[in-house]
Amino acid sequence: MTGPALRLVAVNLLGLVEHPALDGSPYRVDRDGRSYVPAGDGGIVLGLELGDPVFGLVADHAAPGACLVHPDPAARRALASYACIGNQVRVRTGQAAGARGVVLGKRGEEGRVIVGLAQADLARLRPADEVAVCARGQGLRPEGLRPDVTVMNLDPDLLALLPVAPGGGADAAVTVGVRLTAASRLAGNGIGRPAVSWDLDLQLPAPGEDGAGGPATGDLVLGDLVAVDDIDARYNMGYRRGWVTVGVVVHGASPLPGHGPGITPILTGPASALRPVPDAGGHVGLTAAMVQLQ
Amino acid sequence: MKAATNAGRLVRQVLSGEVWPALADRHAFRVGPDGQPFLLPGMGGVTLGVHCADPATGYASDHLEPGASIRHRDPAANMALQFLTCVGNQVRVAGGPAAGALGHVIGQHAYVLVDFPETAAADLAAGDPVTVVARGQGLALADHPAITVKNCDPDLLARMPGGTRPDGRLEVHVAARVPAEAIGAGAGMLSEYANTDLMGAYQGLGEDLSLGLEGLRIGDIVALDDADHRYGRGYRPGYLTIGVISTGQCMLFGHGPGPSTLLSGPSEAFWLVDDPDANLASWLHPKPEPVPVVPSQRRSA
Repeated sequence: MTGPALRLVAVNLLGLVEHPALDGSPYRVDRDGRSYVPAGDGGIVLGLELGDPVFGLVADHAAPGACLVHPDPAARRALASYACIGNQVRVRTGQAAGARGVVLGKRGEEGRVIVGLAQADLARLRPADEVAVCARGQGLRPEGLRPDVTVMNLDPDLLALLPVAPGGGADAAVTVGVRLTAASRLAGNGIGRPAVSWDLDLQLPAPGEDGAGGPATGDLVLGDLVAVDDIDARYNMGYRRGWVTVGVVVHGASPLPGHGPGITPILTGPASALRPVPDAGGHVGLTAAMVQLQ
Repeated sequence: MKAATNAGRLVRQVLSGEVWPALADRHAFRVGPDGQPFLLPGMGGVTLGVHCADPATGYASDHLEPGASIRHRDPAANMALQFLTCVGNQVRVAGGPAAGALGHVIGQHAYVLVDFPETAAADLAAGDPVTVVARGQGLALADHPAITVKNCDPDLLARMPGGTRPDGRLEVHVAARVPAEAIGAGAGMLSEYANTDLMGAYQGLGEDLSLGLEGLRIGDIVALDDADHRYGRGYRPGYLTIGVISTGQCMLFGHGPGPSTLLSGPSEAFWLVDDPDANLASWLHPKPEPVPVVPSQRRSA
């Protein structure tokens, strides 16, 4: 990168707390052909927090907190594209007015921002309540991080708290602690979509399922960092041999084929420049304490 | 021997649609694998000069949809059109200069994709009405209960080589085999709608993007490894999905030539035969296509 680093700007965005929505039928069809009712897919989910296991819930894409949307489709895409993990949010209306929280992730399709709040505040929240998001982070190029590693979807103040080590020196790889590394063939919904506004679902086997030699995934929790081999997420997410993408686990598992626990990408680069360090037992990713949700 | 089916119990349903215009937005450019901006035609409208057995890639195009791209104006009727129409179904142009022309469905891509003879396609434009005689959903193979059939006209299945082998497996001829790493946009979506984009077929771009799929042709029957499309589109080790390449060249990253789903089940239920002639053109174009003629050339002749 040449010239002085460009300064980031912060923008106040308006999100409305989502109400879950279903089509005419209450049923979806799971990967084994069984019908199910998709509880927990969007809106406000109580009792689910960073650090909770992604498997084991009778739920579909459940996220830890409240999902924000906007009734105008273009404004909704902007909300999902500009909001970054770690951004501060404040409830503006309703019984929880004044409560503060943090962006914990994003979800794709039309766009959703997942915000964490204290459980007592979440319990007072109601669909359609207004939440202001102070969005800052897209365009971040941290000093000391080699330029061939792209950072995205991350509040600048959060990077230093995550297990990311710049490596030191232009030739040293950036190392990042992760729970596990997944092969690109496990990447599902989200492939071919923009990494700034969609998450990438990972078709990880649930505990007890046949993993076909893949990583053991039973210890995976919300907030974990996960690496995916051979995925380039600089723009749209897609296959590129010799690349690595690291993301934060932002929602739980799904019974749908092609879906699973989803990551919001935060780092992507050539494998020679970005080196995930898996620690199945001891990994600590994004935590509630880190973003002062406790 | 040919696989026994329940084709005699399927119904035909008459559906309507219209040629849908190509769509763009005011920002024009989209972004390629290396961040390169591009503005390329191919999706929507009527794409000329590309038919079954032609290369799928190698065009200055994005999301190339051969022939006519069809939708219905009413959202719910459109979903019925997209879900019920099957590969191989016959389509008749119901108005406009090409009225009466016959084509056939080669796949779905959030549009029903219809291949017409080039002379008929040259007279088609957005808004022209078409009639689809839909048949195929519900098709089942009596002797292969583990295999799900979808989006497949029974007549197409009857014309495809292969069938029930003495060992009980279903023999299917395929022009290419696709590794699980190639599965791109479309993963996690319904397998009766749109198709599965295959990555690794970006002709002319970096070697690190290639999965060796640059030789695919429109209409090729392909086998997707570790793909279970019985109830949607997902990764499942030990499963196999047979599809037909219905769309071509993509510049958008994570996208590419796409198979529409025809058959899916456990790998051991299939017996694959590599066959370069495993292409819709072998069965749905009994006569050679006329030499492509674009309208401007025809007028000057």
